Amino acid sequence: MKKIINTAERFVPEMLEGIYAAHPDELRYVNDDLHCLVNARTHAGKVGLSTGGGSGHLPLFLGYVGEGMLDGCAIGDVFQSPSAEQMLAVTKHIDQGEGVLYIYGNYNGDIFNFDSAAEMADFEENIRVLSCVAGEDVAGAAPAPGEPNKRRGVAGIFFVFKCAGAAASAGLNLDDVKRVADKVCANVRTMGVALSSCTVPRLGRPSFEIAADEMEIGMGIHGEPGVRRGKLQSADEIVDEMLSPILNDLPYGQGDEVAVLINGLGATPLEELYVMFRRVNQTLGAKGIKVYHTYVGEIATSMEMAGASISLLKVDDELKQYLAAPANTPFFQQFAY
Amino acid sequence: MAEVKELLSVWADLMAANKERLIELDGAVGDSDLGLTMSDGFRAAYEAIKDSTEPDIGKLIYTAGKAMGAAVPSTMGTLMASGLMNAGKEFKGVEWMEDRSWPGFFQAYFDGVQKRGKAELGEKTFLDGLSPAVEVLRNNMDDMCVAAPKAAQAANDAFHATKGMLAKHGRMAIRGEQSREYLDPGAAVAALLMEGFSQIILR
Repeated sequence: MKKIINTAERFVPEMLEGIYAAHPDELRYVNDDLHCLVNARTHAGKVGLSTGGGSGHLPLFLGYVGEGMLDGCAIGDVFQSPSAEQMLAVTKHIDQGEGVLYIYGNYNGDIFNFDSAAEMADFEENIRVLSCVAGEDVAGAAPAPGEPNKRRGVAGIFFVFKCAGAAASAGLNLDDVKRVADKVCANVRTMGVALSSCTVPRLGRPSFEIAADEMEIGMGIHGEPGVRRGKLQSADEIVDEMLSPILNDLPYGQGDEVAVLINGLGATPLEELYVMFRRVNQTLGAKGIKVYHTYVGEIATSMEMAGASISLLKVDDELKQYLAAPANTPFFQQFAY
Repeated sequence: MAEVKELLSVWADLMAANKERLIELDGAVGDSDLGLTMSDGFRAAYEAIKDSTEPDIGKLIYTAGKAMGAAVPSTMGTLMASGLMNAGKEFKGVEWMEDRSWPGFFQAYFDGVQKRGKAELGEKTFLDGLSPAVEVLRNNMDDMCVAAPKAAQAANDAFHATKGMLAKHGRMAIRGEQSREYLDPGAAVAALLMEGFSQIILR
C-alpha cells in the first residue's frame, strides 16, 4: 500500500478536517460530529436535500453539498454506510419545515440506515422525509416487473443531485422535487470499466486482483464483480462494449437528446476520458442522438482505481432546464448554460 | 426494567464470547465483520442503558437500539438495531415485563428486522433462526422457565437447518446454488439471542 496518509484509522476524520479547514465559508458540521456535513448557508422555505454514503468516492457524496445542489450529507467510513443517527442529525439541521428528500445509492447498508433515519425523523421530530434510491448500473440485470431494483447506484446519481437540487432551489415542494429526482433515475443509465484495484486503507491490500494487461467491464465502484473480464482493448472497443448495453436499456429514437457523463474512477487521466468521449460522441451522432451537454471528469471515484464509467441521461425540456441551472459547491461549479 | 438490562448485558457478553466463531462463519460467506459488529453493537446497546433510571421499558429498549445503530451502521448492525427499536416502540409505556410479555417482545424484534431487511422466511437469514423460537414462546407463554430453553433449542436447530437453504440476500446470494453449502451467520446471531434469553429466565 502506497498512500499519503498518517494512519489508516485517522484517514477519514483527517480528510474531513482538511475539507472543513479548506472551505470554512461553505461547509460546516453539526452534532459535534465531523461526519454530519451541511451547507453553511441555509435557505428558508426550501425543501431540504440530503445524501450520504461511504467515503472513498470523492467528490461523491459530500462534494455536491452547496448552492443549487444538496444541503447535507452523512459520511461513513471508507465504503461503509454512515449511521442512521448521523443521517438524522443532518436531517434535523437542513429541514426548513418543508420536508427533506434523501437521495442515495442502491446499497443495503445505506438503504437500511436511511430508512431507519426517516422513521426516526418522523417518530421523534415530526419531519416529513421522502427517499429517492438511485440504481442505474446496467451491469446488473434490469428488475423484473414487480421486483425490487437490485442495480447498484454509481456515477449517474450526479444527475439526480443536479436536477433535484435545481428543482428545490426553484421552489418546488417535496413531492415535486421527488418526482423530478425519480424522473432522472428512470432516465439515467451507467456502465463502468476497471483496469486496476483500489486499496481500502484499513485493509491495506488491493480489494481484488487483476492482471496488468486485463480489464473488467461492469465492475462496481467498490470492486463488485462485473460482467466480463478480458484482455485490455482499444479505447473505441471498450467504449463500444460499454455504450451498447446503456443504449439498449432505454428506448432511443432519432432526435432524442442526452446529457453525457464520462467519469474517471481515480487513477485514469482526463486525457483518456476525452478519448472515450470522442467515441461516445461519434456513436451517438451516427444514431441521430443529440448531445445536450457533456460532463467529463472525476465525479464518483473508487479511491485509486483506474478505469472509467459512462452515464447517459435522456433529457426532456424539464430536465434540461434543471441541468442548465447554476450550481456552486466546493467540488463543482457551473454557470447557467 | 431490570430484566431488560440483564438481557442486554447477557447478549453483549455472549456476542463477545462468540466473536471469533461469528467471524469464522461470516468469513466463509461475507466480509467477516459480523463478529466485530455484533460484539461492538450489543456492547454499545447495553452501555447506553445500564445506568439509566428510565422506568419506561419501551423507551429503554428504543434507546439501546439507537445506540447500537450509531455504533455499528453495517447491514446486520442496522438490522439488529431496527429489531430493538421496533420492540421499544411496541413496549412504550410498559414498566413491568411479565412472562406473557416476552413472545410479543421477540415478535416485535422479528417484525422490526423484517420490515427493515424485507426478507421472507426461508431465504436463509436471521429471521429463519428467530421465527421458530418466537413460535415456541407463544405456545408456552404461561411458563417462561419451560418456554425459554425450548425456544433456545428451537433457534439453534433452525440455525443448523439454514444449511441447505438458498440465499436470497447479501453477499451470500452472489454464490447462488453454492450458498446451500453454508450455515447462515445471521441465524447464528438469532440462536445466541435466544440462548441469552434462556439464561436470564433460568437465573
